[in-house]
Amino acid sequence: MKAMHDGKPTEDLEIDNKKSLKGTLFSVGVVGAVIIGMWAGVFWLYMARL
Amino acid sequence: MEAILKETLTEKSKRVLGVSPQDSQLTLSYISVAFIALFLGGVLGLLQGLERAGLLQLPPWLNYYQVLTAHGILLVIVLTAFFTIGYMYAGLSHTLGGLLPKVRKLAWIGFGLMMVGIAFVVTTVLMNDASVLYTFYPPMAASPYFYIGLVFIMLGVWLCCFGAFINYAAWKKNNIKQVTPLLAFFAMGVFVLWFFGSLGVTIEVITLIPWAFGWTETVNVMLSRTLFWSFGHTLVNIWYLTAISAWYIAVPKVIGGRLFSDTLTRLVVILLVITNIPGGFHHQIVDPGMSQGLKFLHVFMSLSIAFPSLMTAFAMFAVFERTGRKLGGRGLLGWFRKLPWGDVRFLAPMIAMIAFIPAGAGGIVNTSNQLNQVVHNTLWVTGHFHLTVGTSVILTFFGISYWLVPFLSGRQLTAKMNKLGVIQTIIWTAGMAVMAGAMHIVGLMGAPRRTSYTTYGEHEIALSWIPYEFLLGIGGTLLIIGVVLQVYAVFHLMFRAPEGKTEFPIAAPEDDALPTPYWLENWKLWIVLMLAVVVIGYAIPLVDLIVHAPPGSPPFRIW
Repeated sequence: MKAMHDGKPTEDLEIDNKKSLKGTLFSVGVVGAVIIGMWAGVFWLYMARL
Repeated sequence: MEAILKETLTEKSKRVLGVSPQDSQLTLSYISVAFIALFLGGVLGLLQGLERAGLLQLPPWLNYYQVLTAHGILLVIVLTAFFTIGYMYAGLSHTLGGLLPKVRKLAWIGFGLMMVGIAFVVTTVLMNDASVLYTFYPPMAASPYFYIGLVFIMLGVWLCCFGAFINYAAWKKNNIKQVTPLLAFFAMGVFVLWFFGSLGVTIEVITLIPWAFGWTETVNVMLSRTLFWSFGHTLVNIWYLTAISAWYIAVPKVIGGRLFSDTLTRLVVILLVITNIPGGFHHQIVDPGMSQGLKFLHVFMSLSIAFPSLMTAFAMFAVFERTGRKLGGRGLLGWFRKLPWGDVRFLAPMIAMIAFIPAGAGGIVNTSNQLNQVVHNTLWVTGHFHLTVGTSVILTFFGISYWLVPFLSGRQLTAKMNKLGVIQTIIWTAGMAVMAGAMHIVGLMGAPRRTSYTTYGEHEIALSWIPYEFLLGIGGTLLIIGVVLQVYAVFHLMFRAPEGKTEFPIAAPEDDALPTPYWLENWKLWIVLMLAVVVIGYAIPLVDLIVHAPPGSPPFRIW
């Protein structure tokens, strides 16, 4: 009998955890936010100085 | 029989030592010059920062622009050229089974030529005959011997490029239809960019020599600037390519992880090589005499360099997350805490990668046409390249030095030296954060770069810059402490650390990784594509600048 958690065997959950790249997705999102934020900030300055 | 035995013994010794003593000597010589340049350039950087902050007045025999020129050349050309060549030659030697004797000879001749070139350049700068800054644009004219020195440096670099190409081709000949080791593939990309990226600036310098001697009356300033920047920005990406070779290959091994994807990594190298050279045009985005359409094309071409960088960001986060989860990390970001933050071989390049996020974002701002008008020639730009080169690249080089130098010298990184490295990394990070941060902010407030201390007649805007200029001086002071610690660490690891074996960290692919497709090895195709992109980017402006040349300029000496 396999140990279960949330309807899934804990072994499978362990494999899911090792393969998960959700942190990578989040981190890449942060990189995107920095790029957009910096670009938008300087663009705002450009518009303000026109 | 004897020959076979000798060959077998040589092979065995290479496997044990990892790199032959002659190859070690070569790389250690290159790295020694790089870190001596770091020390001298760092001291000059401090003087410059304190002068700019109004905290120090330089003596009459040493002017601000002289210091600025020497700081730029020592750090931007000498440190980086010697480190990239030394490190990549160690990589070639280690992964391809040693350097060929003729290749080693070429690299030593290159070393000699570069040292002669540096002697010419440094002497003319010290004599105050070449305060033309690292970019040495005309119409400011240096002593002709300054430009002759630059030619020697480029010839030295080219010999190293040819040596790398010969070694790579020899390995391919002996290993038919095999994919080259990944670090050697990176080395090939670095040397392809060194060679093709430096052709333009060499032509520029050769036209400046007769002009500086007075044999020709004028020079085409716009053409010179264009040729310079075909090199200037490529150089940035030569460093970047060198740095990411350690991110992809060494860092995963250091943290106990695996290579994310050999195929993706090679694709990143190829994209960086193909897209790179026209990227330099964004440095001229406010130059007159070029159509809006052409500038738009170059904005696009420069931004294309961001794609391989974003692929790198994804790949590196994935390596960290996979490794952190294997070490027991859970949740969205629990893996982050599991990484070996106390190991300088990880900490230094990791901070370098984190710094590349705002640094890369700043680069996208610089490349965008309208936004460039906000930041052009302000201290923002200086802050930008202190984040890219001074942090992302140099901290990676520092991180590499903690395993490469003991590996080559047959010594060990002790726990004590690792601690010193961690302290050095923290000091460097703090110094750069304060200095580059202040530069970015005060740049947005309009403070110009390449200017010694001035209040413009006590003008209120210039006075508002002063607190930030103080921060610049504080950051510079922290950085010189970092320089001293780093130079000490490198030479300690070279000569004084306990003897022993150190690993050259090369990450293995994942167990279920797919084989790398052989077509990625087609360097002829990548070079043809790179040249095609160069033609798309440069053919029209260069023909236009030559056929419809603006009036030439005589030499000016304004210092």
